[in-house]
Amino acid sequence: MENKNTGTLLGYFSRILIVIALLSFTVGFVPSVYAQDVIRFGASLSLTGKMATEGRLVKDGYDFYMKHINALGGIPIKGKKYKVEIIYYDDESDPKTAAKLVEKLIVEDNIQYLLGPYSSSCTFPASSVAEKYQIPMVEAHGAATTIFERGYKYLFATLNTVDQYTSGILDMATDLSPKPQTIALINENALFPQLGMDGAASQAEERDITVVYKEKYPSGTKDLSSMLAAVREKNPDILLAAGYTADMILLVKQAREMGLKPKMFGLLLGPTLPGFVEALQKDAEYLLEPIQWSSNMPWKDEVFGYTASEFAALFEKEYGYKPDYHPPQSAAALLVYHHALQKVGVADPKTVRNAIAETDIMTFYGRIKFNEKGMNIGKTMAVIQLQNGKPVVVYPYKGAEGKLVYPIPYSN
Amino acid sequence: MLFLQVLVNGILGGGVYACAAIGFSIIWGVMNLINLAHGSMIILGAYITYFFFTATGLDPFLAVPISGTVLFIFGYLIQKYLINHVIEGSVFMTLILTFGLDLVMVNAHILLFTADIRSINPWYAGLGLTFGTLKIPYTRLGVFFFALLLTAGLHLFLNRTRLGNAVKATSFDRDAAGLVGINVSKVYAVTFGIGAAMAGMAGSLVSVIYSFSPVVGTAFTMKAFVVVLLGGLGSIPGAIIGGLTIGIVENFASVFLEAGYRDAVSFILLLLILIFRPRGILGKKFYAEVAG
Repeated sequence: MENKNTGTLLGYFSRILIVIALLSFTVGFVPSVYAQDVIRFGASLSLTGKMATEGRLVKDGYDFYMKHINALGGIPIKGKKYKVEIIYYDDESDPKTAAKLVEKLIVEDNIQYLLGPYSSSCTFPASSVAEKYQIPMVEAHGAATTIFERGYKYLFATLNTVDQYTSGILDMATDLSPKPQTIALINENALFPQLGMDGAASQAEERDITVVYKEKYPSGTKDLSSMLAAVREKNPDILLAAGYTADMILLVKQAREMGLKPKMFGLLLGPTLPGFVEALQKDAEYLLEPIQWSSNMPWKDEVFGYTASEFAALFEKEYGYKPDYHPPQSAAALLVYHHALQKVGVADPKTVRNAIAETDIMTFYGRIKFNEKGMNIGKTMAVIQLQNGKPVVVYPYKGAEGKLVYPIPYSN
Repeated sequence: MLFLQVLVNGILGGGVYACAAIGFSIIWGVMNLINLAHGSMIILGAYITYFFFTATGLDPFLAVPISGTVLFIFGYLIQKYLINHVIEGSVFMTLILTFGLDLVMVNAHILLFTADIRSINPWYAGLGLTFGTLKIPYTRLGVFFFALLLTAGLHLFLNRTRLGNAVKATSFDRDAAGLVGINVSKVYAVTFGIGAAMAGMAGSLVSVIYSFSPVVGTAFTMKAFVVVLLGGLGSIPGAIIGGLTIGIVENFASVFLEAGYRDAVSFILLLLILIFRPRGILGKKFYAEVAG
């Protein structure tokens, strides 16, 4: 009796399943009827998990472009307008999941144009999947140089990678007269700070600034005073340091204690993070930090005609918060596709990839032009200097809010 | 001149290491308990100091007695109501308990004070004595002398007072101490309170010269561990010698070898001490050894 019942039930369920399958087939079929007029992008983003906050900033950036281009009727390509659609999946801030979801986007959703996830750790495996299927990925948030050292052909990034972080500071140094002659570099023995200071060393050499000190300290170090005493012996004009915020606060403190007086003092990160100025107060004055973007940059976009500040104002109105670099950096990835697709049409991934490789455009995020590794060499980092406890953009000069204070005035 | 500067930095830094390690050493030596929450207790002391500094502008050095008192009460209660229940059990129980306590403290700190990185910058930060190119910052000098003062005070307490002698007696032999009428669980609570108070006061000092956040406590626990093993378990002069040795060795390694090797050098030193003098430079037999 029971067996028979189960049998009927099973049969019943299988019939329902068939109906559902048929229905979903029809539903699945519907968009492709209109697919001619829609361009679909796909991205795996960290919408939950430890990087959820940043993941959402990225999504808002992608959405900003989608919303604004669709309001204009879509991307005009060879006399026809194409609406934009983005398929998102949540990778829960897990790199392995990100890789799986990118595969799903390619294989199941048949996505031909990929956008990047958030963070270097997610971009690393996700871009490998894209490369395997030869689907272009324009990413906006993987800054580790190592991502681009794998000879990939289908990966491009809108941001400056970490090895380029200090170029703005050193460009400024080169423009000074008298030009600073010597530089000292200190970094924590960790990947990101190391790549940053290695980059600074080669940039300094290119600009004829002598590296008089370059050392790394182990993570978790509680005392940098003797390293700084050794730096003082070299009396460098410029001091650059890279490490996590706690170390950087310690470093600035102990540099003052050891009587170090560089004319220019920059940190790879720290000054714009919460708590930094509060912790160091007057000792934080005149510190430099490279930043990816600021809303008063002099850049103007060619698609919408927005300047950086117009972008910031519109974005704040629509999303309810002031954008830092995350949203424009993300939106710029779509602008890269926008131009490439306009050039070659809604073509196969390889053709579009070749068009992306030749990108040279201006956006509200800055100029974008890729080198053969897919890194953006069109823009440099902007630079802020802490003045009266507030970050003031001092470079590039055209978008500067204030003038660089150089040399740093020390009150004995 | 660089040599002299590095030596001075090493001594000043070593004094702080010693001060941060003494509380850890006392608790371990007397009770055979490795307090994994030691670092978080230092951080709590730092936050108390930070709180008074930002709220009332109280000088961090004047906050030392406040953090000491708060942490003493905290430690006393923790020992009386929590650790005393498992102290007779296996050492793993106390490890698990203090590890759990550490997690609770770290998260309570994050809730109360946020995860932002803090540091206290009094008006005299960055100023100091100058002899030619030799710089001795006032903050580090002050911290060093305070550290010595606290250590000397603890030393006097242990050797000159009745309670101090009871603590020492308990550390040598718990059962014998009980037989002569010492209330062992009370002595334990007082010892843990003192250990916590030393951590809290070290925290006040540390807040002036380092940066701190809720999660950096572990680094202090590790440092205390090394200092105590090097100098000798439960020994106050041992903690000072251990702290100074580590401080000086680290500073010299970071300048005259390569900065990346500073930890390697101090751990090699620790390894050598453990091989050739397993009780540490000034270590004596303690309860744990007698009983075991």
